[in-house]
Amino acid sequence: MTFIARRLIAALVTLLAAAVIIFVMLELLPGDPAAVVLGVNATPETLAALRSDFGLDRPILERFFRWLVGFATGDLGTSYTYRIPVAALIAERFAVTLPLAFLSILLAAAIGLPLGLFAAARANSASDTAVMVFAEIGLAVPSFWFAILLVLLFSVTLGWLPSGGFPGWDRGIVPGLKALILPAISLALPQAAVLARIMRGAALEAMAEPWMRTARAKGLSLPETMRRHVFRNALIPVLTILGLQVSFLIAGAIVIENVFSLPGLGRLVFQAIGQHDIIVVKDLVMVFSAMVILVNFLVDVLYGLVDPRLARGRA
Amino acid sequence: MRRGTRWSFRLGVLCAGIVVFGAVVSLVWTPYDPTTIAIVDRLQGPSARHWLGTDQFGRDVLSMLMRGGVNSLGVGLAAVLAGLLVGLALGILAAATAGSILDGLVMRSADLVFAFPVVLSAVMITAIAGAGAGNAVIAIAVFNVPVFARLSRAAALQVWSREFVMAARAMGLGSMRITLRHVLPNIAGLLIVQSTIQFALAILAEAGLSYLGLGVRPPDPSWGRMLNEAQTFLSRQPLNAIFPGLAIALAVLGFNLIGDGLRDRLDPRFQGAANRQARSVIR
Repeated sequence: MTFIARRLIAALVTLLAAAVIIFVMLELLPGDPAAVVLGVNATPETLAALRSDFGLDRPILERFFRWLVGFATGDLGTSYTYRIPVAALIAERFAVTLPLAFLSILLAAAIGLPLGLFAAARANSASDTAVMVFAEIGLAVPSFWFAILLVLLFSVTLGWLPSGGFPGWDRGIVPGLKALILPAISLALPQAAVLARIMRGAALEAMAEPWMRTARAKGLSLPETMRRHVFRNALIPVLTILGLQVSFLIAGAIVIENVFSLPGLGRLVFQAIGQHDIIVVKDLVMVFSAMVILVNFLVDVLYGLVDPRLARGRA
Repeated sequence: MRRGTRWSFRLGVLCAGIVVFGAVVSLVWTPYDPTTIAIVDRLQGPSARHWLGTDQFGRDVLSMLMRGGVNSLGVGLAAVLAGLLVGLALGILAAATAGSILDGLVMRSADLVFAFPVVLSAVMITAIAGAGAGNAVIAIAVFNVPVFARLSRAAALQVWSREFVMAARAMGLGSMRITLRHVLPNIAGLLIVQSTIQFALAILAEAGLSYLGLGVRPPDPSWGRMLNEAQTFLSRQPLNAIFPGLAIALAVLGFNLIGDGLRDRLDPRFQGAANRQARSVIR
């Protein structure tokens, strides 16, 4: 329990530090949001009115704390350009990015983990080499190029799947999933490659343990030992990497959502910067950081569950 | 060294060599000027005149690829060197003062920066300072600092606990002298390996940024932007979406394999630390 409490406090401190950095960095942004909204014909009076509307005339510390409190209560302010609450805007885009991220993690785990286990079970054989070559290529191919190649094959040549855009979930699950499948595959490739390598290494390490011989001596078959003992013991390094990958996934989503013109969070943050919509940028970057910090906290807690020795060691 | 490793190392040298050679040659010669527009020749396939065809403005793709290599490799190299210098300084400082407040501060900040996606910080930096090669370098370097800081701290701590360092201490050498004379030479190999792998990652990151329009500014060619532009004309000239991607993959694969090969040659003492760090991949 104290272990979890400690990790929670550490996560909250990190979150606060991230908030300060993001706020200070974006305060440095040149350009007056009010001027951006009103355009070139704005009079000084309307500018001043809008600035006080946005709360831009307040002292910086007050604005920071208002932003933090708003964040804690779910009031993220109003977008300068879209003129709707940022919380609603983010929620709408989340409906694209979250399924996309989930699908790609699922795909990456479904491909990478079995491949890694398989390669470890047949270490130094031809199939092991084949898996490692796949992983090396998966690491070298940029996900957005892979995405373009997939579009070339499945959209331009075969015409099976859309090359971009998103119909919206209200048009049904199938069209939505169809729009997400190519982006999810392109995001999953590098992750699957990383997972396969880590899984292979961790499984090989686990297989060198003495209990492995005991399990085999008891008459357990190799596949069964792999599934029941090796897989579980290899999960700890894999968990670490999964936690790290969330931040890579966010980075990947920004690029991939732009490749496929998907109306998700990544595309939103990119567009918001182009439009100088600072409130949206600030909130989104904060949401991204919070997600990364949250996932790393969960990974820490999971460590304790998977391997109680770690929890005791750290606390 | 295992036989497979030796072969993959050679393959890496070959892949990276092709890309580096093309980029270096482009500094003095390219088949065509990579920025000259010739609309009549647009979107041609490969031919004797244009070996890899032309883009939507009739520019020679091979020339653009060669010159684009200078930008990709240049941005990557600058970013890794900057990240290495700052990260190394912080890391050995933290190791020399292990357990102090300074050490904790450096490591916690490294964790914080590390949690931040490189593309996101690039997008923010670009928003503040505008697009351009310099800002791409800063964004990628910012990501590299914590990688090198953690690695050099971990490796330096190992050196600090060795007998010859204790002997040096007993002889009255100060922290500064020990760091320069014993710690740095002993962690240099590890840092070189990591730099090679970070270089591969930096090339990937640069490609992603320039795809988004956050890298070198046009008309200076870059692999990422070439792919972005090729996407618009995908049905008319699909080959233009193939070659720049191949160039990126070749460069990344090459430096990854070189890094792996170098790591296998390294003292096995450091293999654990190297493996853990080496595969923290950005995308």
